[in-house]
Amino acid sequence: MKTDSRLKRVLEKGHFAVTAECGPPKGADPKVIKSKGKILKGFVDSVNVTDNQTGVVRLSSLAACVLLKKEGLDPVLQMTTRDRNRIALQSDILGASALGIRNVLCLSGDHQSFGNQPQAKGVFDVDSVQLIQLVRQMRDNGVILGGDKLSEPPRLFIGAVANPFADPFAYRAIRLGKKVAAGAEFIQTQCIYNLTRFNEWMDKVRDLGLDEKVYILGGITPLKSARMAEFMSKQVAGMDVPDEIINRMKSIPAREQRQEGLKIAIETIQALKEAQGVHGVHIMAIEWEEAVPQLIEAAKLFPRPQV
Amino acid sequence: MITAERKPLSEIKEMIAPYKKILVAGCGSCVAECASGGEKEVGLLASALRMDAKMEGRRIEVNEITLDRQCVYEFIDQLTGLVGQFDAILSLGCGAGVQALADVFAGVIILPALNTTFIGQTKEAGLWIENCRACGDCKLGYFAAVCPITRCAKGLFNGPCGGSKDGKCETDPDAPCAWQLIIERLDKAGRLDLLQNVYPPADWSKQQGKGPRKIHREDQSI
Amino acid sequence: MDQKSAGLNITIFFCQQLDANQDANRRVLERELGSRIKFFPLPCSGRIEPLHLLRALETGADKVYLIICPEGACRYHEGNLRARKRLAFAQGLIEEIGLEPQRLELIQAIQGDQLTINERAREFLARETDFGPNPAKNSVERIADSVQKA
Repeated sequence: MKTDSRLKRVLEKGHFAVTAECGPPKGADPKVIKSKGKILKGFVDSVNVTDNQTGVVRLSSLAACVLLKKEGLDPVLQMTTRDRNRIALQSDILGASALGIRNVLCLSGDHQSFGNQPQAKGVFDVDSVQLIQLVRQMRDNGVILGGDKLSEPPRLFIGAVANPFADPFAYRAIRLGKKVAAGAEFIQTQCIYNLTRFNEWMDKVRDLGLDEKVYILGGITPLKSARMAEFMSKQVAGMDVPDEIINRMKSIPAREQRQEGLKIAIETIQALKEAQGVHGVHIMAIEWEEAVPQLIEAAKLFPRPQV
Repeated sequence: MITAERKPLSEIKEMIAPYKKILVAGCGSCVAECASGGEKEVGLLASALRMDAKMEGRRIEVNEITLDRQCVYEFIDQLTGLVGQFDAILSLGCGAGVQALADVFAGVIILPALNTTFIGQTKEAGLWIENCRACGDCKLGYFAAVCPITRCAKGLFNGPCGGSKDGKCETDPDAPCAWQLIIERLDKAGRLDLLQNVYPPADWSKQQGKGPRKIHREDQSI
Repeated sequence: MDQKSAGLNITIFFCQQLDANQDANRRVLERELGSRIKFFPLPCSGRIEPLHLLRALETGADKVYLIICPEGACRYHEGNLRARKRLAFAQGLIEEIGLEPQRLELIQAIQGDQLTINERAREFLARETDFGPNPAKNSVERIADSVQKA
């Protein structure tokens, strides 16, 4: 049976995949999602919808995925374990599948203390690795946790995230291995600015043979300004923006910094295209979706393959 | 041990406002060790409350007593006959102590002066750290005796998350990443193999399955 | 207002290492001023407890001094450092009930000065203060002791 996940088809056919991130609005207006979808349509294989990222309340990922699906895109449903226990997670997985969502990305999520609800109870009933395993069991064995059988299993292509830049560095590839063992089929990495470190991580990933077991999509976030580069370097947990990138951005007049940010992104995509075991890119243009088509064309990733 | 911290005086004052004769009751166990509810703290709070009343021109009587333990009947019994002389008991016991007093002296107003905070260890003089959540299903044997439920901000069984940097947790630059500790200790112990396991979700029913838990030991019953 | 003219009661906790003759010296002043002044020699200022400071205020002192030995001079190494922290804690507590934290004051002796304890006390008595009698002090007997300690 031909899978409904465009992302899966693209990857299985050996194409270099392109996904983009879409952050839902802080409100109930569906037009924001639809217009972001219109910008991205045709330029990306899948659109990845964040789940209350940084712990800030936004329109739900599942609802946004359905809106994008109606616009003709292939959405990736992000699911964090921060806000839902295993009952809610499994229920939403079934719901997503029933609504025609075909990709899920499992993650623990940013800690609630970073968002606008710092007094919330962080659920973390299961962790990201356990969520991957749980979705996999639901899909492949048709059972939920505890063994109860499903009347109909969900149909989902299962993804996870990896941060090659967090510590302890030596363990990062092993942890990816754990996610693969748990059942992850594709991986999105943290934004890549430090290619040296990313390549070191990929060496370990290849040593473990993981690049042959899972599709790895390198994370790309075009920088809008030198200030953004500095902010990400200092304020955003788990982010590695080397000084040479910050200095390069600083050396450019402010009004041309966006172009420079795109140039860095294009160079990074080129490097990833040549890296063995990297199967695509995931573009996270934070509140800058209109830059994505331009970036994809400039990186010679357009037109997207017919699959 | 159970750790606790004194509530702000303003909150305590609000609770005791309707009462004239108050007995401040400390506990000589855990909360004495963490310097929040022992004899000294009873003295400090009672003194502060008396002076406060004096300054505001209110007439109250504040007396002091410290039990060896507030959570065991044999020690609580020392208050029998005494509680009747007071309008309210302001307990410097942990939550268990406050509730035990209320259980024994039904109808007596028992008020908490402390916020019970966590089960922890005295790391050094004046420093206490949380290291156990009493989950009822100890897995320290797999995690180099570092509890990920307690010491990882996300309680991950398969950590660390992407926010671990230079051995610190993303939620608090002063807090060590529990998973960094686990990995370092497993490495020293030659048990890095344990990191390959995918640990299944915790069985939270052992912590909060059907409301309050109890331990009943027939051999210990009279 | 001057403490002397206002007739404020003062209590002085002090490290007894500061004055080899403290026993005799303080008695001179005690005889002269009676209950207006109280001295509490400590084997080391590190032995001070916030409770001592509060009890002093509660039982009649308008102002309490804690005299610690010079920096680096503590024969128990860190006693004077501890004393400083304890006093700060007690200041926080009296502030919570609306009492001026300055009613508790830390005095660190200066290396080399040979002041006797009564000379120091006279200096305190001559000082200006911007507050009057302690509104929190109790004139009646402490009631706390009426309850048997468990």
